[in-house]
Amino acid sequence: MDKQLDAGDLDLTVLRELTALRSFAPSRGFSDRVMARVSLPQPAAVVLFRRAGAWVMQPRRAVTLAVAYAASVVIAVRLALPWLVGHAPALKLGAAWAGTQIGTLFNSVALSAADWAVRSGAADAVRAAASSGKVWPALAALTIGYAAGGYGFYTLLKTPGRTDAPVRA
Amino acid sequence: MATAKDLRTLGDREVVALAKAGKEAAYRELLSRYERPVFSLIYRMVRDRALAEDLAQETFIKVLNALDSYRPEFKFSSWIFKIANNAAIDQLRKRELNTLSLDGAPGARTAEEVEATALQAVDRTESPLAELESRELGSEIEQAIGRLRPEYRTAILLRHVEGRAYEEIAEVMDLPLGTVKTYIHRARLELREYLAHLRT
Repeated sequence: MDKQLDAGDLDLTVLRELTALRSFAPSRGFSDRVMARVSLPQPAAVVLFRRAGAWVMQPRRAVTLAVAYAASVVIAVRLALPWLVGHAPALKLGAAWAGTQIGTLFNSVALSAADWAVRSGAADAVRAAASSGKVWPALAALTIGYAAGGYGFYTLLKTPGRTDAPVRA
Repeated sequence: MATAKDLRTLGDREVVALAKAGKEAAYRELLSRYERPVFSLIYRMVRDRALAEDLAQETFIKVLNALDSYRPEFKFSSWIFKIANNAAIDQLRKRELNTLSLDGAPGARTAEEVEATALQAVDRTESPLAELESRELGSEIEQAIGRLRPEYRTAILLRHVEGRAYEEIAEVMDLPLGTVKTYIHRARLELREYLAHLRT
């Protein structure tokens, strides 16, 4: 500050000096030290899973849960086994019928798909693309699409659903 | 996905919303926006670099860990300055108590009791840190600011160094607008008095 100021200049000088005061910076690595102690929000599913894991991993709870699980399995098998043995012929018949139904459904879907491919010309297009060398760009596009889908899925899992929540002004 | 460059163009509220959604870059953006203003305010309040850094760190940790409780109808800057100012004022109060206890515990009667309960004052003029502080805060105006009452100091620093509006300062300091204006006016008068020796 200039020495020997007039009385009238002092007010203005004080204001000017105040406004011109430098700002101080904390030491290097300040933000990293802060970030190391900040817990970032996690997706609700991850938080729930971690909480459940932490709750279950308490030694006494873990032992209690393991014993309860083992007991429930023994009881279930003890109750279910005689019933299964008693109804074995009916169950076998039911399983065979279900297998036939599923096989028939699979066959009809496959035949319909093949019929559509031939009728719509898709099969010819694929054959033509394979012979003309266009199959590689198509495969590349498919791979990129697959990777983009994977990344999208990863992003969806990484950030909670409230990303786009509006903020009141 | 907003990049660091995009974040710089966003307002505080939008950056806070992204931080709430778990974006680490948004947290870092808030830190980079406010680390200097918050640290400068605290440093000028407590006038001890290491202590100011600890308090600034605690301020940011408190704020960033409590983003969910931030109410967007208030300015983010008001919120963070309020927490920083409270941290600095608490520290100054503690220091005041410690200064009083330099003369020994209030219950000390005999000379031995006084000596046993008195704090040892440390001569910091020799340490490099103290030298740095005396250089940084050594100008006439910095010294004059250091002589102001803490509440005057907060008000004048927020107004003239950080350029905050009177309304925001009132929010930060939890005071009526008129009181803030009075504080700033008195602080200016005191600064003029402290710097009066510069007159002809």
